[in-house]
Amino acid sequence: MNVVVIGLSHRSAPVELRERFAFAESKIPDALKSLRDSGVAGEAVILSTCNRVEIYAATPLEPARAFAELKKFLVSQRNFNEPLNEGLYALAEPVSLHHLFKVACGLDSMMIGETEILGQLKTAYDLALKHGHTGARLNKAFQRAFHTAKHVRTHTNIQRGSVSVASVAVELAEKIFNSLGDREVLVIGAGDTSEKTARALLSRGAKSIVVTNRSLDRAQALAGEFGGRAVPFDDWAGEFEKIDIVISSTSAPHYILDRAKLEPLMKARRQRPLLLIDIAVPRDIDPEVNFLENVYLYNVDDLQGIADDYLKLRREEIASCEAIIAEKVKPLLAARSSADFADGRRLPFSDLQKSAQSAD
Amino acid sequence: MAVTWFTDRHFFLLAVVFYGASTMYSVFLWRKGFRRDDWANYFLIVAGVALHTVAMFKRGLTLHSCPVNNLYEATTFLLWALGLACLVYSLLPRFKFLCAFTAPVLFTVGVFALMPSLDPPHGPKPDFSNWLRSLHAATILQSYGAFGLAAVAAGMFLMQQHDLKFHKLRAVLSLLPSIQRLEIITLRLILVGFVLFTVGLVTGQQLPRPEGKPYFSDPKVVWSALLWLVYLELIVARLFFGRSTRRFTIGVIVAFAFLLLTFGITNHYSSLHN
Repeated sequence: MNVVVIGLSHRSAPVELRERFAFAESKIPDALKSLRDSGVAGEAVILSTCNRVEIYAATPLEPARAFAELKKFLVSQRNFNEPLNEGLYALAEPVSLHHLFKVACGLDSMMIGETEILGQLKTAYDLALKHGHTGARLNKAFQRAFHTAKHVRTHTNIQRGSVSVASVAVELAEKIFNSLGDREVLVIGAGDTSEKTARALLSRGAKSIVVTNRSLDRAQALAGEFGGRAVPFDDWAGEFEKIDIVISSTSAPHYILDRAKLEPLMKARRQRPLLLIDIAVPRDIDPEVNFLENVYLYNVDDLQGIADDYLKLRREEIASCEAIIAEKVKPLLAARSSADFADGRRLPFSDLQKSAQSAD
Repeated sequence: MAVTWFTDRHFFLLAVVFYGASTMYSVFLWRKGFRRDDWANYFLIVAGVALHTVAMFKRGLTLHSCPVNNLYEATTFLLWALGLACLVYSLLPRFKFLCAFTAPVLFTVGVFALMPSLDPPHGPKPDFSNWLRSLHAATILQSYGAFGLAAVAAGMFLMQQHDLKFHKLRAVLSLLPSIQRLEIITLRLILVGFVLFTVGLVTGQQLPRPEGKPYFSDPKVVWSALLWLVYLELIVARLFFGRSTRRFTIGVIVAFAFLLLTFGITNHYSSLHN
């Protein structure tokens, strides 16, 4: 039996199309049953996440024929009555197996190297396994893919570094402070990114959060969410003696913190390190303050720059990950005779359909 | 047949070769941004310190005392204390790269110590019958080791701080400790070194000296007192007057550089020590 993949992902289809094909987890066992009952697939796994909907199937049919049947199945399952060719991709061995391994390793994800997909893939596989829809072929392929994903994570830097502004801010804090456990965070202005950053710091053990905002109600609401406290906007400077990290994101048209204001505050803090994260545009904090001793200022471009560099580093790792995958896929392919292999190029579905028609 | 031509100096030479290899590897790690967490450098220093220990042990057996009787022996003792402290501190989380910063000091000072003029043939057997003398020499040289390691940690702090201030990617990519942790380690090492140094000076003051020769007429004693004051100033300014970490760490590096550069000269002119 050939392992084939048919589906759509963030690379091939917009979210409007992907959402039309998404499977609710509770519906997947029935869908798998009906797919196997149709005789198209001897074994099958359906992976449905916000970024992809894919059917992995071990099929006795010729790939081109299997793709046509699988497309029919997908369309009928989702009651999709519009033309569907470009968004759909269909892969036969050996590319289908490479694809499975790449998905497991996070190489096909929107955020390269992310690990959430591995958990989603495991859940999808477990669901199919639990209901008896997998067999020797897919069991071996999926288990090897999971093992390879672990190997790739350990032996490459594909997962290394933070790729969001909030996580870069946390990483910086960890490079400055001995531990985040006894650090207090001041959030000036209750914006979305500052909220995410504060939440990330709290999840890494920050001691407490103080929120200040022009609207005290909004500050109190946010502080309540974090289990912290709110202070009136005019009093935030009074908190500087205690806090270690400041996240600022007000909509003020001018600097709310400059060198002249911060210098005496640093003396009161006995020169303890202070991390300032300015994610406001226009900026809230005068860049001059970075010249003060023990002050570390990062604005949104600095943080985004680091996140982008990390992403670049991850991309540089793709070649070594693919080399590992190629090595790990080999034994799976060797188990099958080469005569079974069809052309495994990644083709838009329309091309595969044409070849299926000519085969008929 | 026992090999007799392979002396303690040969063992030390081999140790310096390992320190040199570690220095070269450190350059590679530095160029890679201290990203990969590996043990290679640690084991190079382990091999160096092991050979170094054999060298000192052999010399000590020959003398039947602590080998600190000339500049070569004193320098190798100092480096040994530094190497050993580095191996211990490297076991702390995220401190493995301490070896990369210590290796260049071990290598360059080791090469200097190998100069034959620093190790003249021994004259009359030095008198170590007084246990205070051994304690004096050992504590003083161990304090130098602690000061040396503090200077290494201070160097790491300055590099990390520079990278963080100027938003270098290396600041977040490297597996170095946080700057606050480096600052704590530097201060603790200086305090340990200072206590050892003080014990060494006090025991030195108790030692018998030539008739009519005042303690403070010896250049090495004056130099040591000056060094003690320098370190005292660094500690007091940091702990009680809130001197910034940057200035404190620069002071630690300058003080150790002064120690290294003037150690040999003062030894040479000291009638009590030479």
